[in-house]
Amino acid sequence: MTNILALQDVSMTYYTKTSQTQAIKNLSLEVKKGEFMSILGPSGCGKTTLLSLISGTLKPTEGKITLNGKEIDGTTTEIGYMLQRDHLFEWRTIYKNITLGLEIQHKLTGENLDHCERLIEKYGLKDFVKHYPNQLSGGMRQRVALIRTLALNPDVLLLDEPFSALDFQTRLQVCDDVHAIIKSEGKTAVLVTHDISEAISMSDRIAILTSRPATLKRIHETNLQNVKTPLLRREAPTFAKQFETLWKEVKNDEK
Amino acid sequence: MTKNEYLSAEHRQFVKKIKLRKLAVTGTQIGVLCVFMLLWEVLAATNVIDPFLMSCPSRVWATLCDLYYDGQLFHHVWISLYETVLGFLIGTVAGTLIAVLMWWSKWIREVFEPYVVVLNSLPKIALGPLIIVWAGTGQKAIVTMAVLISVIVTIITMLGGFLQTSPEKILLMRTMNANKAQIFLKLVFPSNMTTLASCLKINVGMAWIGSIMGEYLSSKAGLGYLIVYGGQVFKMDLVMTCTIVLCVLAGGMYFLVSLLEKFLVRWQN
Ligand SMILES: Nc1ncnc2c1ncn2[C@@H]1O[C@H](COP(=O)(O)OP(=O)(O)O)[C@@H](O)[C@H]1O
Ligand SMILES: [Mg+2]
Repeated sequence: MTNILALQDVSMTYYTKTSQTQAIKNLSLEVKKGEFMSILGPSGCGKTTLLSLISGTLKPTEGKITLNGKEIDGTTTEIGYMLQRDHLFEWRTIYKNITLGLEIQHKLTGENLDHCERLIEKYGLKDFVKHYPNQLSGGMRQRVALIRTLALNPDVLLLDEPFSALDFQTRLQVCDDVHAIIKSEGKTAVLVTHDISEAISMSDRIAILTSRPATLKRIHETNLQNVKTPLLRREAPTFAKQFETLWKEVKNDEK
Repeated sequence: MTKNEYLSAEHRQFVKKIKLRKLAVTGTQIGVLCVFMLLWEVLAATNVIDPFLMSCPSRVWATLCDLYYDGQLFHHVWISLYETVLGFLIGTVAGTLIAVLMWWSKWIREVFEPYVVVLNSLPKIALGPLIIVWAGTGQKAIVTMAVLISVIVTIITMLGGFLQTSPEKILLMRTMNANKAQIFLKLVFPSNMTTLASCLKINVGMAWIGSIMGEYLSSKAGLGYLIVYGGQVFKMDLVMTCTIVLCVLAGGMYFLVSLLEKFLVRWQN
């Protein structure tokens, strides 16, 4: 498989009036086309910063990030970003929320709207298109947020702890949901999390980061591709062992 | 989404209770008003209070009828209403536009913030004589007063709302390649409909303060003019009548703004 996304020796330092914070240090990473990669690291290590760099909303102080071989310069529609909370616009109907990106980019063409219709129908949102976000449950809202991102047909999806605002039950179900949708749309995904079981159950490979400044510690292969859903993966024979290994690695680092 | 016909007996009971309570509150409100009027009337009729100084409901009613048959009532009401509504509209629109400008440019915001703060604490009536010199003694001066009073509050309220827009939602817009104008029009402004509604409500009061104060300072007509005139010639009936008309007008305007608020935040159900 070819690399769709590559980070080469990326460093990022924040400057404020009184201090400077190095969030990321010499990080190199490749993401293959179609794979689901998780980035696992303790909170505050620089994971959100990393996604901001990839999405083009921040510029690295050093190093280079390329998407499909082209260096990233500013935001691009080839990358879709899903944030910690769904951030649906309460004053817009579900349909209007889903088509927000197309509206912004003046791309409300028949073809693109057909694509939205297909997503809406396929992922069971048809009955809700005229509803407002406050009429939907947390899990459903998160699904709308994902469809809103997919409506722009990005090559790569970035997900920043998208389940952390949900309660545990909903979270497992939404994990399954999001995983299924991403796989069935054949998207490349980069998921950021500090939750080890989430990382193992969702992804093909896990990049383990050190605490701040984030550097790449190791890449872990889950080898769970043949188990279909995250929920089933949690019951896979190797799951507990993997969890233990990763837990020790992350814990060692927090000290 | 339960509709009425699907309500359980307990639920219906619950809804009934809420409705009854609301009815009771409204009933008591009307009762309080009636008792107050009655007491006022009786105390004046028995000379416990001096009706010449304190007026009384029957005298107010008589004055109101007189004003109406003279054709005076609506003449003065229209003048005050015109000044107030114009001041309200100009103040709100101008204040919002200035707030947009100050949201847009951090530089402008930083430079002008202290001026806005000082102007906000300044009692605008102190500017009265200046306004009369600059804008003349006519309605222009009065509208200017109403605008001055509402514009600063509008700037502060709206800018505060704009600046509180969730930074993550702004980030979301940016990842979708939105430019600044789109961020404002599709996110910052619509997410501040509640702020706008409360601003409009505040401004109803502000505009009335401005126009009546303006009429006190210099006018040939209007409710504020009648009140000052009534005070000078000791016609307390006239003063009281105009004050009550003012209450009704301000209340009506507030009610209209509440209707507008319901429309602005209709997505909240
Ligand atoms: N805009 C900023 N300015 C200064 N420091 C920041 C900024 N954003 C994040 N940081 C700092 O960078 C570090 C990494 O933050 P972040 O990427 O949000 O971590 P994570 O997402 O892994 O929890 C933290 O120490 C945080 O305080
Ligand atoms: Mg984070």
